[in-house]
Amino acid sequence: MSMHLDRSALTDVDLVRAAQKGDMVAFEEIVARHRDKIYARAYSMMRNEDEALDLSQEAWVKGWQRLVQFQGDSSFVTWMTRIVINLCLDQLRKQKRQRAESIEALEEESGGVERYMPVINPNPTAGLERTELRRRIDRALAQLSKEHRAVLVLHEFEELEYKEIAKRMGCSIGTVMSRLFYARRRMASLLASLKRENAE
Amino acid sequence: MNQDLELKLQAWLDGELPAAEGRGIGQEIAGDAEASRLVADLQALKSALAGNELGVTVPDTREFYWSKIERQIQRESRSLRPVQVPRRAVWLRWLSPLAGFASLACMLMLAVKPPALPTFDEISSTGEGMEAVTFNDQSAGMTVVWLADPEQAQSTDTPVAKTPDTGDSEVEME
Repeated sequence: MSMHLDRSALTDVDLVRAAQKGDMVAFEEIVARHRDKIYARAYSMMRNEDEALDLSQEAWVKGWQRLVQFQGDSSFVTWMTRIVINLCLDQLRKQKRQRAESIEALEEESGGVERYMPVINPNPTAGLERTELRRRIDRALAQLSKEHRAVLVLHEFEELEYKEIAKRMGCSIGTVMSRLFYARRRMASLLASLKRENAE
Repeated sequence: MNQDLELKLQAWLDGELPAAEGRGIGQEIAGDAEASRLVADLQALKSALAGNELGVTVPDTREFYWSKIERQIQRESRSLRPVQVPRRAVWLRWLSPLAGFASLACMLMLAVKPPALPTFDEISSTGEGMEAVTFNDQSAGMTVVWLADPEQAQSTDTPVAKTPDTGDSEVEME
């Protein structure tokens, strides 16, 4: 415990500097501070607790190995988030290669049925308590395909631009736009149905 | 509404549309009820998602979560560390190719011999008072040695060629 107390008063910047010099105790303190955020990002993309745990831990290992490359252009936690996102996208690509291409997947790529859905009004999230809203968003996100969820998470939560998402996902900007549009329509549809379920 | 317009409206909403293209969008939305509804719908969802990601926490304790990271770091640093090679092995590493090269050089020297020069098994020396003229034809592999006795030559005034079987001259065939 004293090990933790020694470093807990230091800022992230100081901890990173110490870790760059090989201080693993300092690195452990950084991990303890930001592990939830890194794990949450992995979980939001994979929707699987075990995978999220493995990938977030792998991200920390890579973070340690690449510490010398961290120049402080962004915050350390942003830098770590980029690492875990890349690992998740790699994992999704592996999984996509492994599973056979289905007709459903092809439909999703071009927008599928959701493209022709009528515009949903009124706002399905209006009047919800924040906790309830978050819970429903989470449930809806879980029902998206991995590719569409990844695009939505990267754009809405990580606030990455189309170009950056396309680069990270290894696809065209047009594909990103199409996936994002579909994901939003699907989300709106899912939130509306969750609202109906609660009303009944 | 066609897909191009849908994606264009979305890009405009996300601030990804070039300024030149974005200027006309406002008029396009105002004159198209469906486009207007789509923009409102996308905007509502965007607002709903902003800052409303459900927070999840690591299900493991701090120590347990870290222990796996630490083990992995140590394992990978071990695998990256260079293996200590014994001093003798270092010498052998250098000597082995050198020995091989030397052997090869020796074999090459033995295999590529310089062309043999004509050699004479014996050089006959003549007795005192005798004159010797040697003719060597390398292409025929023949050497003819003329022996002449000056006293005899003076008496006859012409040198006499001696055939090998006379014993006065030697013809060496190589």
